[in-house]
Amino acid sequence: MNVFMQTLVAGLLIGGIYCLIGIGMSLIMGVMGIINLAHGQLMMVAMYITFVLSSYFHIDPYFSLIVSMPALFLLGCILQKYFLNPLMEVDSILPENQVLMTVGIGIVLTEIARFIFSSDYKSVKTSYGGSAFFIGNISFNLPMCIAFLFAIFITVALFLFLSKTDMGRSIRATAQDKEAATLMGINSNRITIITFGLGAALVAAAGSLLMPIYYLFPDVGGPFTLKAFVICILGGLGNITGAILGGLTLGIAESFGGTYIGMGYKDMVAFVIFVLVLVLIPGGLTGLKRLIKS
Amino acid sequence: MKSLRAIMVVLLSVTLCFAFGLSSSSASDSVKVGISLPITGSLAKFGEIERDAFKMAQKEINAAGGINGKTLQLIIEDNTGRPDVGRSVVEKLITKDKVVMLGGGYSSSVTYAVAGVCQQEQIPFLVNTGSADRITASGWKWIYRINPSVSHYADAVKSLLSSVVKPKTAAILYENSLFGTKGAKSFGKICKSLGIKVVLKEGYEHGGIDYKPVLVKIKKLNPDIVYMVSYIMDASLLMKQSRELKLTPKMFIGGGAGFTLPEFKSNAGVASDKVISATLWHQVLPFPGAMDFYKKFKAKYNKPVDYHGAEAYSACYVIADVLKRAKSFKNTDILKALSETDMMTVFGPVKFTTWGKLKNQNIASSYVVQWIDGNLELVWPPKHATKKFVYPVNWLKTWGY
Amino acid sequence: MGKKNLTLIVLLVLFLIFPLVVHSDYYRHLVIITLIWVVIGSSWNLLAGYTGQVSFGHAIFFGVGAYTAGILATQLGISAWWGMMFGGITAMVIGLVVGWICFRLRGPYFALATLAGGEIFRLIATNWESLTEGMVGILIIQTFRSKLPYYYIALLMAVSCIGTIYFIMKSKWGYYFVSIREDQDAAESMGINTTLYKNISLLVSAFFTGIAGAFYMNYMAFIDPNVVFSLHFVSIMAILVGIVGGVGTIMGPAVGAFIMVGIQETFRSSFFGLAPKWVSQAHAMAFGLLVIFVIMFLANGVVGDWAKIKRYVFRIKPQSME
Repeated sequence: MNVFMQTLVAGLLIGGIYCLIGIGMSLIMGVMGIINLAHGQLMMVAMYITFVLSSYFHIDPYFSLIVSMPALFLLGCILQKYFLNPLMEVDSILPENQVLMTVGIGIVLTEIARFIFSSDYKSVKTSYGGSAFFIGNISFNLPMCIAFLFAIFITVALFLFLSKTDMGRSIRATAQDKEAATLMGINSNRITIITFGLGAALVAAAGSLLMPIYYLFPDVGGPFTLKAFVICILGGLGNITGAILGGLTLGIAESFGGTYIGMGYKDMVAFVIFVLVLVLIPGGLTGLKRLIKS
Repeated sequence: MKSLRAIMVVLLSVTLCFAFGLSSSSASDSVKVGISLPITGSLAKFGEIERDAFKMAQKEINAAGGINGKTLQLIIEDNTGRPDVGRSVVEKLITKDKVVMLGGGYSSSVTYAVAGVCQQEQIPFLVNTGSADRITASGWKWIYRINPSVSHYADAVKSLLSSVVKPKTAAILYENSLFGTKGAKSFGKICKSLGIKVVLKEGYEHGGIDYKPVLVKIKKLNPDIVYMVSYIMDASLLMKQSRELKLTPKMFIGGGAGFTLPEFKSNAGVASDKVISATLWHQVLPFPGAMDFYKKFKAKYNKPVDYHGAEAYSACYVIADVLKRAKSFKNTDILKALSETDMMTVFGPVKFTTWGKLKNQNIASSYVVQWIDGNLELVWPPKHATKKFVYPVNWLKTWGY
Repeated sequence: MGKKNLTLIVLLVLFLIFPLVVHSDYYRHLVIITLIWVVIGSSWNLLAGYTGQVSFGHAIFFGVGAYTAGILATQLGISAWWGMMFGGITAMVIGLVVGWICFRLRGPYFALATLAGGEIFRLIATNWESLTEGMVGILIIQTFRSKLPYYYIALLMAVSCIGTIYFIMKSKWGYYFVSIREDQDAAESMGINTTLYKNISLLVSAFFTGIAGAFYMNYMAFIDPNVVFSLHFVSIMAILVGIVGGVGTIMGPAVGAFIMVGIQETFRSSFFGLAPKWVSQAHAMAFGLLVIFVIMFLANGVVGDWAKIKRYVFRIKPQSME
């Protein structure tokens, strides 16, 4: 029973961070239809910001969120405005050019990081880094719990933003039907810029929150991009609730896969779920709800 | 407007590329030796250590007269840590740069692929780190190796276990690379020979965030020892998470690589303390120049050096010695000189012979180190020990609970 | 029409005599690798550029082909050259499975599913040690010491691939493929069996990619899961080769292969030793910048946007004369 509970707890906690990564990408995919293969690299940039703030200015990683999130928001806006929006106008046979642009951006970001920081593994030193508290026999990693709480807080804030503010509603409108939204007077170019920035800011939060638990090196982003996809597909593109469910599901599935099948197969669990959902449940987990209802 | 943007992108790109500035290599007319190392890519860290060690040795050798008056030139090529690139790079070194022999070899899979090329092209290759058995167990006459194979890494650990710890059960956790898989396999054999029951043997993909799933399983099985074959960051996460779970076997043992690097201590912090590990070298060993090498490296590069650096440094000296003794720079003459090697280096004595199934292999010993109060102390065999090993260990107290 | 044919014939002759004129194994090796990419890129282009199904998982077929050859050698003890035939066939069978699962998806979903497929195969190859030797990889001894036989086999492979694709695209099949790319639903409503033709395109694409994989096994003599099932170095590289050269063109991927391999090695070796050493540190960065540049300005690739390139190059000259 202990093993089960511990596995569940570990899965949930990491799921919280996954949510942030997934929501960011889901927004971007939902609103612009862009597969952002540089998502992990954006997270990497945020992690380096956190690292620098922590090592040289002794700012706690959790406080660094105040810097990393806006910084990545800005970076996201710049990337969308100068590198991705222009592509919408280019006439090419395949629409997948945006994706490949993100591949190029991802590589360049990684190499710049490597140039500045070298390939060394970096980590932040915190007093609470490896601390855990126990409830009964189950160990709860403190930084992950804090990260989980932050994730909840940020997600709620995002919800409110999307439902209560004008900008938020414009974003949702553009996600639903870009042409109709433009006809209604929404500047869709501006919306795409802000959405990408928002997605970047979210994944920046995930990165900063991850720093106390994990470590950092230029190539850290790749696997997280892949996880983000799985979460998006699980949850349905552009669907925030779905992304949350997807993130938690992925975390728990990986955890249980690791315990009961074997650590070597942990990564495969994500992909198998991915393919199964893609094939069997086209609308993602929220699509499942509809399926069950009908 | 568009053309202006194009020009700017081009200029920016060119500037960025040129901004990656560093000194250029100097061309030289002398004896060329090719060195294959991962300078970029995920294994870059180790590649850099070995490259620095090679360069240090090269400088000293050339300052002392080089190879009978000729300058020793090392052509260090980046194999990016991938076997296919390694193969291409070595082909280039052999056919284009016309190197007389090859050195280096970090990462078992790359080394193995590279060795295949050298064997085919009939160019001598002196391996100094790649540890998979098959590198010298394949009967390839052009491949020589200074370092022991991974199945011997834990020889000293075996001795410590059988005389002191005497465990009944063990859990083996390994990274599913060539190095990790082989290391785990050979430790499994050691357990069998000592009558230790292996209650769990699991591989994992490196770079994982959360090892709790498998650590929780291990805690439930409660083995006497936990043996891990991991590279640095996984090693430090494993120890940190073991601490979080209060997983307390009698001993945590690392199978080399990650556990002996200073980064392990700085990342795992208190969770690294009292962890023992197999290693192939330590600066206090009674090999002439060992401590000097350690101090020189630390002074120049501002970081401590472990067995990888020592292997590379010694390899360079062996290469120089071989080239000095060789009748000519023809491959067969170099091979002959290589086979007749009998010298002392900071890594220990170097002489190539047959070691069980391994041919052209230098018989090198392994040792056991333990992190005691932040320092990596040599603890076994007792005659070389700088400090007595700490056992049994009160893990909860060590971990600050 | 005649001019184009003449150019092709001249090119073919140049390729035929290349290794006889250039004796350096290093350069021969580079061209052989390029020819492998010509095959992979062209195959990808058939499925993606012409049929509109953008696969992010072509590594599946490459790896399957390579491992078929390797496993024949290590498990059955027969020559890996048989893999050239069986590798293509195995890749086709796998292709059918991939098609069955993935073709019900469109656009980005299809791309992601194939991407996941590539990763799944990589993980299977890593973990199914009894079949593939896992991370240990498969190493064989090269059959020929000289590069010449490999060169000509690769050339034959590349020419057959491009030739086959050319004839397919000229036929009715080609017409169906493009109509599926342009608008799958319209094509379906016109009575074209889109599922059938998507699968045909996939089978041909998988076949040649599988053969390329088997050839790789024979030539490089070493493979492991990370090398042949690599997302970045095989699947994405295939896409880049296609895009840089020009999707939806016959010779595009071939041109793309030369550019990509050329650029990579030029940088990795610091312009073949002519530039200072640090240039090689920048090779990955240069690669990324190239991708950005091409996507931004030459979205249809060098071949597809050739008219644009010509215009641009000639446009600068008159201005400076003023």
